[in-house]
Amino acid sequence: MSTLFFYAVAGIGLFCTGLYTLIVQAHLLRKLLAINIMGSGVFLLLVSLSMRTAGTQPDPVPHAMVITGIVVAISATALALVFMIKIALKTGKAELSSLEEK
Amino acid sequence: METLAIVEFVFDMLLSSSLLFVAYKTLTCKDLFQAIVFFIVFGLLISVAWGRLGAYDVAMAEVVIGAGLTGALLLSALVKLKKMNID
Repeated sequence: MSTLFFYAVAGIGLFCTGLYTLIVQAHLLRKLLAINIMGSGVFLLLVSLSMRTAGTQPDPVPHAMVITGIVVAISATALALVFMIKIALKTGKAELSSLEEK
Repeated sequence: METLAIVEFVFDMLLSSSLLFVAYKTLTCKDLFQAIVFFIVFGLLISVAWGRLGAYDVAMAEVVIGAGLTGALLLSALVKLKKMNID
């Protein structure tokens, strides 16, 4: 029970830290790192909830979902990195332009 | 058995708190290269956590994909940004 509690709380903390950084930081690479860490927090919460009863085997269905989620997360990260390079080539900085500059 | 329970408790506490600390360093340190290295370390730590939670298949996938391949992709993108003199 203590194992589940620790890792579930760590997952929630990772999600909150990533969400705060995603809103606050301007650089796109930092935003991507924040999105990846948010996803890791959600995966950690799922896997820790898959061992609800101590001493028995954990439920394998969340594990399959989490493996699928890891693969989807890396493909989305690769696509977003290509978008970041294109934005940097077009605008000269790796940030999204804000509305005040126009 | 009592000693083993205490050791497991301390290990879980240390691992979850170090996960939070490494994530905080990843998202707040100034240098981007340093942030990417911290992110790779984070992937290795979270795969240890998944081995502790009994999800060994997820741990293997995370070591290969989350730590290795994502780190290589992020580093190559950072090198491309540096070549364009963009910070």
